[in-house]
Amino acid sequence: MDTLRRIGGYAPLRSYAAIGDGRTVALVAGDGSIDWLPLPELDSDSVFCAVLDAERGGLFALAPELPYTVERRYLPETNLLETVFSTSTGSVRVTDAMTVPSDGLGPLRELSRRVEGIAGSVAMSWRVEPRFGYAGAETSLGWRAGVPVATAGADAMAVCSFDAGTPEIAAGAIHGRFEAHEGSSTLIALCAAHQEPLVIPARAELEARLDTTAAVWREWSDGLTYAGPWREAVMRSALALKLLVHAPSGALAAAATTSLPEEIGGERNWDYRYCWVRDSAFMLNAFLGLSCAPEARAYFWWLMHASQLTHPRLRVLYRLNGAARAPERSLPLEGYRGSRPVRVGNAAAGQRQLDTYGELLQTAWLYATTDHSMDRDIGRRLAEVADLVCEIWEQPDAGIWEVRSAERHFTQSKMMCWIALDRAATLADLGLIPARHAERWREGAEAIREFVETQCFSEAKQSYVRSTDSEELDASILLGVVFGYGDARSSRWTGTIEAIQRELAHGPFVHRYSGEDGLEGSEGAFLSCSFWLVEALARTGRVDDAVALMDELVELRNDVGLYAEEIDPPTGDFLGNLPQGLTHLALISAALAIATETAR
Amino acid sequence: MSVWGAIAGGFAGTLVLTTALRGANELNLTRIDLPFLLGTAFTSDRTRAKAVGYLLHFLAGMVFALIYYAVFVAIDSSGWWLGAAFGLAHGLFSGTALVSVLLPLVHPRMGTPSTAATSVALLEPPGFMMLNYGARTPLVTLVAHVAYGTLVGGFVLMAAQ
Repeated sequence: MDTLRRIGGYAPLRSYAAIGDGRTVALVAGDGSIDWLPLPELDSDSVFCAVLDAERGGLFALAPELPYTVERRYLPETNLLETVFSTSTGSVRVTDAMTVPSDGLGPLRELSRRVEGIAGSVAMSWRVEPRFGYAGAETSLGWRAGVPVATAGADAMAVCSFDAGTPEIAAGAIHGRFEAHEGSSTLIALCAAHQEPLVIPARAELEARLDTTAAVWREWSDGLTYAGPWREAVMRSALALKLLVHAPSGALAAAATTSLPEEIGGERNWDYRYCWVRDSAFMLNAFLGLSCAPEARAYFWWLMHASQLTHPRLRVLYRLNGAARAPERSLPLEGYRGSRPVRVGNAAAGQRQLDTYGELLQTAWLYATTDHSMDRDIGRRLAEVADLVCEIWEQPDAGIWEVRSAERHFTQSKMMCWIALDRAATLADLGLIPARHAERWREGAEAIREFVETQCFSEAKQSYVRSTDSEELDASILLGVVFGYGDARSSRWTGTIEAIQRELAHGPFVHRYSGEDGLEGSEGAFLSCSFWLVEALARTGRVDDAVALMDELVELRNDVGLYAEEIDPPTGDFLGNLPQGLTHLALISAALAIATETAR
Repeated sequence: MSVWGAIAGGFAGTLVLTTALRGANELNLTRIDLPFLLGTAFTSDRTRAKAVGYLLHFLAGMVFALIYYAVFVAIDSSGWWLGAAFGLAHGLFSGTALVSVLLPLVHPRMGTPSTAATSVALLEPPGFMMLNYGARTPLVTLVAHVAYGTLVGGFVLMAAQ
């Protein structure tokens, strides 16, 4: 990779790699700049958000002073990023990681950057511009015990550097420069505190934690089992997802960022640092499929715990700590390449999305049929959720895509209501949830099926359509065949897949839907939809087509194996928040489905 | 005057002081965390440090209440306002000397102005009036200590009536 070219100070979204510690995630651009870091948690305010405001957002730059080329990778089976800068005078290796706590007293959060000279001599410079509170808080720079620190309110960050030149404070930044020689080793660490005094670690402790962190990731990866095709992509997806799992609760954030645009310069900019119920079934399927039972169990229990306050109704999303409210507001930031507004919080939390009930019951079914057990109290609550579905499935909703126009009778929502009642009846048959209302659930499922087959199918297109009284198409309908609505080999599903390929797909790219959604502008191709198409092709017997499409999609990941939410078909640029959990979940699900169908 | 009044006042005062500091912490007014500072003098385990620190902080609260009591007896006077004045003095002493100068000297993990290269983690030193932990820290700690002193003085007075 040549020297990364920024446009107006903004790195291409495709150039970002992610590092994290189970509490928060930092984005590292291809030129070595850390442009995004919320602290202390993933959904907290950021200290670096140059990805949302190149001028004011704050960053941690580290790069050679001379022109360079870059080679990057994650160290095998870890989330430690290795960047090799090669210049005309020599080369250096930078290892970036957010370290995990060790036995001794360590900082609340710690980000370490180790710079090792590989060959020759390379002049390096580094610059930390801390801007707490999404660059809105007044950040002070000073010294503690000879270490430069940045503070703002209850937040503080020490910049600990070793053999990295003499750090200086000037113009709102902490910076330094040094010469890396063959065999030299430099360490720069950000040590953060929130609502407590700073802990400033010694170099030996930092080095030890960096090595321990690599070992911890390798140990976790060793526990994954997947022997099918596209193994590298599947394993990287699992590691990317693990970055999005909030360690204290088990909740899975939809992505690590907010407001990275679905259209450059557009208004489709959302905060994805919350846990969507929509992702739950994929989460369990993926983690159980890769033998990550502890994560799957933790997630299911967190989901049931979080939804307790709103029971039997579900919120569309929950905060990582289980809170149900995520009020939306705009920040006074420029936005990625002028894409405004920059939002934090998500107003979709208050929407009605009927599909979530299907995803919850599918999740419970996956959990119960793997563990062959269900807690009695959880079982009772699931039965009450099924009762609620019988009452509300006839209502219109905002759908899985959270449209901000008027509510409609979305086909995918109805199909997922059918899934909810079908799974509830199955769980009742297995004696895992109370069966008192099982007959009512079966009657409800039959009524929904009748509705879908008569109101949501277009004879003209020979396809299920986006909503009743519409000829529009919607790729989310593919989730019907993925989750088992109807007979996968029926002519209706065959026709639907062909129609989606005909009208929404362009090569490997699939757009979400045709028709309006209450927002201005357009968007790129939605990568999850492409993987859903792969899975649908596999489930309907077109395994060769599924394999061919999967091969194309795997090539679309960035240089370190990550995906964003969307992709711009003409340029291949990433769009939307990243790394995107749903895309990586859909990739794993598609790979598992192909492996299953191939084995038949 | 009754020593039991001082003990009861020390109990209530420490409860209020600790809660006030923790509340200010949660409101992002300050990064001061006295139990964390005290506990890390004995252990590097964060969780254990906070548990030990809360215990030590509580004991310190009782000891200070007895010192207040000794002064009340010596001057043969006590009361809410006198307690508040003692609390203010106590808060100023903590900010200028006790926590900012004396604690770093005895704390094995706390940095001082003369700290050089080290092989173990250092805790951020508090600085004058503990300003290193945030610009509002002096105000928060003074208010909390005034509340503490008021309760000790008041309880001693009530016990004497």
